[in-house]
Amino acid sequence: MIQSPPQGGADGSGSPAPPGPTAGQVASRRFRSARGIVLVLLALVAIAVILAALRPSVTPQDLDPTSPTEGGSRALAEILKQNGTRLDVARRAGDAAGLASPGSVTVVTRPERLTDGDIDRLRGAQGDLLLVQPNRSVLRELAPGVHRAGTSFERTADLDCALPAARLAGPVAFGGAETYATSGGDGVVTCYRADDYSRLVQVRDGSRTVTVLGSPEPLTNAHLTEEGNAALGMNLAGARSSVVWLIPDLPEAGAGGDATLSDLLPFGVKLFVLEVLVAVALVALWRARRLGPVVAEALPVVVRSAETVEGRARLYRAHHARGRAADALRAGARERLVPLLGLPRSTAQDFAFAQEIVTGVAHRTSYDEAVVGTALYGPEPADDAQLLALTDILDVLERQVRQS
Amino acid sequence: MALTGRLGLLAALGALVPIFLPSWWALAALWAALAAAVAADLALAGNVRALRFHRSGDARVRLGETASVTLIVENLGRRRVKARLRDVWPPSAAATPRATRVDVPAGERRRVEMTLAPTRRGDRAAVTVVVRSAGPLGLAARQLSRPAPWTVRVLPAFPSRRHLPAKLAKLRELTGNHVALIRGQGTEFDSLREYVDGDDVRSIDWRATARRADVVVRTWRPERDRRIYLVLDTGRTSAGRVGDIPRLDCSMDAAMLLGALASRAGDRVDLLAYDRRVRARVEGASRTDLLPSMVHAMAPLEPELIESDAAGMVSALMSRVRQRCLVVLLTELNTAAIEEGLLPLLPRLTARHLVMIAAVSDPRVGEMAAGRGDLAAVYDAAAAERARGERRRLTAELRSYGVEVVDAPPAEIAPALADAYLALKAAGRL
Repeated sequence: MIQSPPQGGADGSGSPAPPGPTAGQVASRRFRSARGIVLVLLALVAIAVILAALRPSVTPQDLDPTSPTEGGSRALAEILKQNGTRLDVARRAGDAAGLASPGSVTVVTRPERLTDGDIDRLRGAQGDLLLVQPNRSVLRELAPGVHRAGTSFERTADLDCALPAARLAGPVAFGGAETYATSGGDGVVTCYRADDYSRLVQVRDGSRTVTVLGSPEPLTNAHLTEEGNAALGMNLAGARSSVVWLIPDLPEAGAGGDATLSDLLPFGVKLFVLEVLVAVALVALWRARRLGPVVAEALPVVVRSAETVEGRARLYRAHHARGRAADALRAGARERLVPLLGLPRSTAQDFAFAQEIVTGVAHRTSYDEAVVGTALYGPEPADDAQLLALTDILDVLERQVRQS
Repeated sequence: MALTGRLGLLAALGALVPIFLPSWWALAALWAALAAAVAADLALAGNVRALRFHRSGDARVRLGETASVTLIVENLGRRRVKARLRDVWPPSAAATPRATRVDVPAGERRRVEMTLAPTRRGDRAAVTVVVRSAGPLGLAARQLSRPAPWTVRVLPAFPSRRHLPAKLAKLRELTGNHVALIRGQGTEFDSLREYVDGDDVRSIDWRATARRADVVVRTWRPERDRRIYLVLDTGRTSAGRVGDIPRLDCSMDAAMLLGALASRAGDRVDLLAYDRRVRARVEGASRTDLLPSMVHAMAPLEPELIESDAAGMVSALMSRVRQRCLVVLLTELNTAAIEEGLLPLLPRLTARHLVMIAAVSDPRVGEMAAGRGDLAAVYDAAAAERARGERRRLTAELRSYGVEVVDAPPAEIAPALADAYLALKAAGRL
């Protein structure tokens, strides 16, 4: 007797088992149940592919001298080239500093992308600078004496200074522009004033000329044709023999410094995390302490008494032991028939009384001796159908003898 | 010592402190405050070490009934103890409540009522008592586990008790106790008395009649003071479950009914439980004491997963019993176990004693034998027929040794065994 977990199959073996599904039915049932998930996944993949296909390989950037979009500056770049000015496009501040020469103007756009190191490199570069709408740090480092003052929303500004480039351009459409205040000094020229502050400032910084333009609009493709924009752009950028147009790429992740996450976190946050960990540890201690031990107990074995009989039935079935099964069924039937015939029980399994039993049964039933003989002492059933037929005829014989 | 969830919550709320005061000092002050609160709580909590536990209540209960055990908590300390208390029992004792609150003032006692509804037979011992007494702030608690021994013996259920009145009535019919005019059917001479109209003329004692003026009849009574030895087989075959009950429990039930009946009939009943060694023995119990001692001896028995040693069982029996007795062996008609173990020893046993074998048959085999319809059912039926055939052959073989065999399903085994005993008694074969 072996200890084993109860098996559902063994319990159900007495009742007719439903016919098993075919492989095709199983596959289609699994597909039906998983259909929704599969469809959603396919739709997601399709959307991702479409979005990837629609996305342009290069994003057009504002003030990019190669971009033909409204915000780009390709028109101005082309005009400068046609006029014989050499134009180099730099995507990094270091490149721009290398390209710059004493006879060049470096146009610094998108200053928000410059790191402190980039600004240092630009300050060390040669040649003039044209800062387009610089932010505070660029202004502080590269244009000494110029401070941001405010913002003007007047579309156009009239000429009010003697700067050659401005004079050639006349009124200029700035759109919205930042305005600057200067701390005065030698060689400071302020142009296009609004409310005492100017949109265009030119200062001398040592040997170089630094021009600060409060709005990128005069340089863009969309607004180049308005008022004197084109002339202003050409004369500011093309004031020297060559132009280095710096449009910085986004700084690479982690390139901006060597500060780790813990350096960047405020001290209070670190203490907060520590305290939360302490709280979690205390809660764990609270939950870990049981009110009393876990009690183990030996459990009794669970062995069904009929297990060996059921196991034998499964063995018969697995090996199609029709002969043994038929013998057992016939012996059982004879055992029940013999007392009904008035014979002693010991004759049931005694072949010497076979003829007597067959005659007695045939006498009391509607079957002749040949049929009864085959049923009670016949050969092994050839197939499963014959085994089933044998149980039927044995049942019928038993019932008829009982009723006679 | 135990911490509480409230302390964890406070510590979590304290995490806001460094957000507003980001300094080590603030955090250290917070921790110091929490530690001080925990220390104060522990100091002010009720002293669990001063508690003493006493028990009273039921020491035995029948399987299927509930027992109540009282735990008395005595506070010998000088402070009141308010605590959570858990009386720890094994799972199969099904003790409720799992945990409770007690409030014991200094020098006083409080009762905790535990209700046990055991799910299995045997001894159930209390494991320990755990008390946790939290301080006034509810941040920390003192916890103590201290044993408070108590054992509840779960006795077999004896469901066949209901058959006892009917079998006793049958017994009285045998002895002729309840109807004066019916001649007792026993075989043992009881006494002589005067003839009364209606007495069987065959029972007139002519010799005694000749000596006296009256017609005198003999009265008979069944034999008394015979010895009955119940042998429980606790080996592997007794572990098999019939329905959901181990075969051993069915055998115990039958043994109890037979014991109760035989002791009322004036016979001496002994009990032996054996597999490879003696598991339990009841000998020489008085008539009134028999059933309680049997039940006590059987309560902790569990089926052992080993092959029973028939030779050892027979010698254990023969060495103890000199006079002829009825040996009732409660086992299973397992072909291999009986043929290899018991059969060779039977002649020795039957030469001295009358042997009766009682076995619980499994109704599931009958169900399987009646199964028809599909192939699986027919193979099941064939296997069941084969098992029944083997059982029949074994029964016939045992009977050829002069052994009485009682083979019945679990619901009928106890009355069938009692009937077999009464039949033997009526026939005077004891």
